[in-house]
Amino acid sequence: MSTSHPAPRGRLFWIGTAAGWAIILYGLRGVFHHSLDTRPSQLARFWIGGAVLHDLVLAPAVLGIGVGLARLAPRRRRATLQQALIICGPLALFAYPEIRGYAHILRNPTSLPHNYTVNLLLVTGAVIGAVAITAFIRRRAGNIRATSARTGPARQDIEAPPGNV
Amino acid sequence: MPVPELLDRFTTDPDLPLRQHAYQSPLRDERLAAWLGAALGVLFTTCFATGLFSHLHQHPLSWLPVPARPAGLYRLTQGLHVACGIASLPVLLAKLWVVWPRFASFPPGRRIADAVERLGVLALVTGGIFMVFSGVANIAQWYPWHFSFTAAHYWTAWITIGAIVAHLAAKAPVTRRALRRPRHRPALADADPVLGTSAEGLHDGLDRRGFLLTVAAASGVLTVTTVGQTLPGLRRLALLAPRDAGDRPVNRSARNAGVVEAAMSPDYRLRVEGRVATPLTFTLAELRALPAHTAALPIACVEGWSYSARWTGVRLRDLLAMAGARSGAAVDVESLEQHSPYQVSFVNHHQAQDRDTLLATHLDGEPLSEDHGFPLRLIGPDRPGVNQTKWVTRITVL
Repeated sequence: MSTSHPAPRGRLFWIGTAAGWAIILYGLRGVFHHSLDTRPSQLARFWIGGAVLHDLVLAPAVLGIGVGLARLAPRRRRATLQQALIICGPLALFAYPEIRGYAHILRNPTSLPHNYTVNLLLVTGAVIGAVAITAFIRRRAGNIRATSARTGPARQDIEAPPGNV
Repeated sequence: MPVPELLDRFTTDPDLPLRQHAYQSPLRDERLAAWLGAALGVLFTTCFATGLFSHLHQHPLSWLPVPARPAGLYRLTQGLHVACGIASLPVLLAKLWVVWPRFASFPPGRRIADAVERLGVLALVTGGIFMVFSGVANIAQWYPWHFSFTAAHYWTAWITIGAIVAHLAAKAPVTRRALRRPRHRPALADADPVLGTSAEGLHDGLDRRGFLLTVAAASGVLTVTTVGQTLPGLRRLALLAPRDAGDRPVNRSARNAGVVEAAMSPDYRLRVEGRVATPLTFTLAELRALPAHTAALPIACVEGWSYSARWTGVRLRDLLAMAGARSGAAVDVESLEQHSPYQVSFVNHHQAQDRDTLLATHLDGEPLSEDHGFPLRLIGPDRPGVNQTKWVTRITVL
């Protein structure tokens, strides 16, 4: 039996596709119509380069980190590590041009006024701390629930009349 | 072997290199993809709508003049534009990660509809990545390209929003089904051969809800650590914001604009000309001697930072009246800065007649500094910072 994903179909698909492509073509027309500003060949390199960079570098790197995490990290710590990485990764990506200080070439003292390396470390430290505390609290709550389950139902569960449960 | 079966085997056989099941993850299911897609749709659509508003300000249409009020509208819309763009970074990466195996699936389509959909997805992915990347680079004033950021960002936005429309149409049935699924029904009951998996419940990492909440937390942290560049209440938390609004930042210094000498020259003059009864010329001393008005107005940059300040100067409408311009006239305001796309800014009749549209000489009670536009700058309600022209030297009545 074929397990392929169901192909899109129906009137809504074709109407939406026609409308969407009309807008896409309007955008492409704008790119070429204003080619002095948009420099289509270079812009296309950025479009394609971004997707290639994501698909062939970033996504495999994330997969690799995931595989490493699954093999190296203790099972009960995996979710916590995942949370920390998922939050800190985009923070680092966002802060990259700030840390590199590309804007300093413009000699505008009000642009990039902070020490972004230190600030990124502060923010990621706070994130890791918050994630660790959350995991600790959840583990404690889980332990308490497990203990309750072993020792039987809580007192109020026994005493509560059925209608109020 | 018949072709369809051969293709099936080629794309699903776990021993073949393009096997889709190689990328199994309990988090790669259509419900998660639908939630992330919905979030991304809201964020991108907000960015698109607010971006269009910004574009309308910078490229005015004669038949659709922007209003001068409310004074803080542009501050709100552009702050929202940049905040939503920043917040979309983790959501976009998560969405791409969830559906990534689809990009590697082969063949790209068995029917015309498949191929058309995949082409739309290509436009969506390339456009989405470019929009977020170029936006983040721009607010950090990193320009690793030679095209105009505003033109490329604007036209790619149309391509991206068109791709979203096409993608919504293609995914509407799947999304509706995925989002309506009862909470306790097994998440992967309608397993997708690419996104679906039988591994649910056998892993130790985040579950679907945990993953979504974590992505939301990533967006939240990015927002909280940057939005203080426009929200004064969160200024102290804006550790990753490219600007500190408390420092009253500028986008372009006088030195970079090459206007220091002309701005400081004793020969500086302001000229009011064009369709007026009496062309006028003012020295700075004469301008300062005119009746002054003070207005509390925000200055809101297209890069998403903003702050409020008290600006003092002569009302534009008073100058126009002195020159005998007709009531309801629009004007061009010209800077000493040469060779800049923002050398001239257009002030429509609503804005020109507003009581708070000033040619300011003072900021918060102090004479303007060179970087803030000395000797004279335009400041008006509900205008982008790039159109609050600095180093004003000419007003042309249209």
